[in-house]
Amino acid sequence: MERTELIDKLTTIFRATFDEESLVISDELTANDVDNWDSLTHMILISEIEKGFDIKFRLKELNKMKNVGALIEIITSKID
Amino acid sequence: MVFTSLNFLLFFPAVILLFYITPIKYRWTTLLVASYFFYLNIEPVFGLLTALITLSTYFFTRLIDKVKDDKQKSKYMYINISIVLLPLFFFKYFTAINDGIFDILELYEMRWVLPKITFLLPVGISFYTFMAIGYTIDVYNEEVEAEKNIGIVALFISFFPLILSGPIERAKNMIPQFKSDLKLNPANFSIGLKLMLWGYFMKLVVADRLAIYVDSVYGNLANHNGDTILFTSLLYPVQVYADLGGYSLIAIGVSKILGLDVMPNFKRPFFATSMAEFWRRWHMSLITWLTDYVYTPLSFSFRKYGVSGIVLALMVTFVLSGVWHGATLNFVVWGVLQGLFLSVEALMNKRKTKMENRYKLKSNFLYVIFSIGITYFLFSISQVFGRAVTFEDSIAVFQKVLFERGSLFLDKTTLAYAAIGISMLLLSDFRDEYFPKKFLLFNNKHFMIRLTSYLCVALLILWIGILNGGQFIYFKF
Repeated sequence: MERTELIDKLTTIFRATFDEESLVISDELTANDVDNWDSLTHMILISEIEKGFDIKFRLKELNKMKNVGALIEIITSKID
Repeated sequence: MVFTSLNFLLFFPAVILLFYITPIKYRWTTLLVASYFFYLNIEPVFGLLTALITLSTYFFTRLIDKVKDDKQKSKYMYINISIVLLPLFFFKYFTAINDGIFDILELYEMRWVLPKITFLLPVGISFYTFMAIGYTIDVYNEEVEAEKNIGIVALFISFFPLILSGPIERAKNMIPQFKSDLKLNPANFSIGLKLMLWGYFMKLVVADRLAIYVDSVYGNLANHNGDTILFTSLLYPVQVYADLGGYSLIAIGVSKILGLDVMPNFKRPFFATSMAEFWRRWHMSLITWLTDYVYTPLSFSFRKYGVSGIVLALMVTFVLSGVWHGATLNFVVWGVLQGLFLSVEALMNKRKTKMENRYKLKSNFLYVIFSIGITYFLFSISQVFGRAVTFEDSIAVFQKVLFERGSLFLDKTTLAYAAIGISMLLLSDFRDEYFPKKFLLFNNKHFMIRLTSYLCVALLILWIGILNGGQFIYFKF
């Protein structure tokens, strides 16, 4: 999957999860930057991403997701 | 020796002196020796326990790093967690489990009455146990490498400013600091002393003073009316904040003087506009610990259940938090209430945000006040279960508040003194929350203003602080 395609798909998931039509994701984006993205909604996001890309995360990988850039890296490594 | 004891006021300068004359390379050993000296002066036998937990943690974290197979790593992690939790379970829950078993035996008339053995809870055990467990899990998660120097591991677990009641720190933050060149410098002294001064103020002027009033009501619930109990219960959160918050500031200040940066434990909790926000500002080191090591793994395991999974993970986490405080029904209820408040909030969140955005409520002053008020009120309700000794007492509190009116019992002297301290504390927090770099006193650019502030606070401590012992709520955890 091309990176741009991945980002498009991810953006759709982010927008749906946080109910924000105009959300734009970037490598540096973190939970601090998005309303309603906290530890309570984080797992819902994770679950939606897993469903959307048909992948499974491991708990250890969660700790490595410091920002969306890192998240994209991990998703990329799983779908290739 | 408690921070507010005379012994500590002699111990700490002695440690600084020792620190100063030790070559930088070996300063961490000075801290280790000081920490064990500190702890052994309170509980000699339990110093042994701390040492054993250290040995086990060192041994198993080295093993986790050494083996390649994930299942093996996981096994060693769980073994150490079990070993480390064993003493905690035994000391904290022995009585509860004991009584439970005795009740069952009595039911079947099999109980032989033998002299009852009572155990003293090793001071600080809940705190350093959590630090050891966190470290173990961090090594497994590859957040941090297993430390090869057993002395450093021992220091991490026993570090005296933190060992009694936190903040509950992480290996990732502390171990690199312990291994670095620890230097004494005037800037750290200044910052640390200011933190200590304010911490002592919070503890001695606000918390211990309020305790006198709160204890007189909660210690005599039968003879007080609902209005008095309501008033007292609304004051109690301030006491807890000043108590644990003050103590934490002293711990952080002491560490700062020794050149170490420790995480904050409170962030102006009473300005939270929701329970979720409250828990990001109250006892932060405990909550982040529970979030990272309990809630996240649980909610990850339950993620296929969507919102129900989140709610379950929340409930388990907070019930655990309650039980961490004590093995009583009251603490379980406390935990359940926190979980309930957060779950309800989480479920209502989307609708609430929509409404807030539509009517621009977040910039509405009255709405903010209202949110702050509701949050504080909810927390006060849950704190009844934290203060009342038995579950029956908690129920009695609510019954009386709802149905028993009367004239307010006011210990006017105590409350007048407490009011001075409380206003200063709340004003200071208000300033920090809404006008962060303005109206500075301790950090004012003019030396005379700073000096006057220090002297005023110090004099207040000497004039209206409780200097003859008082009590410390979180000591018994």
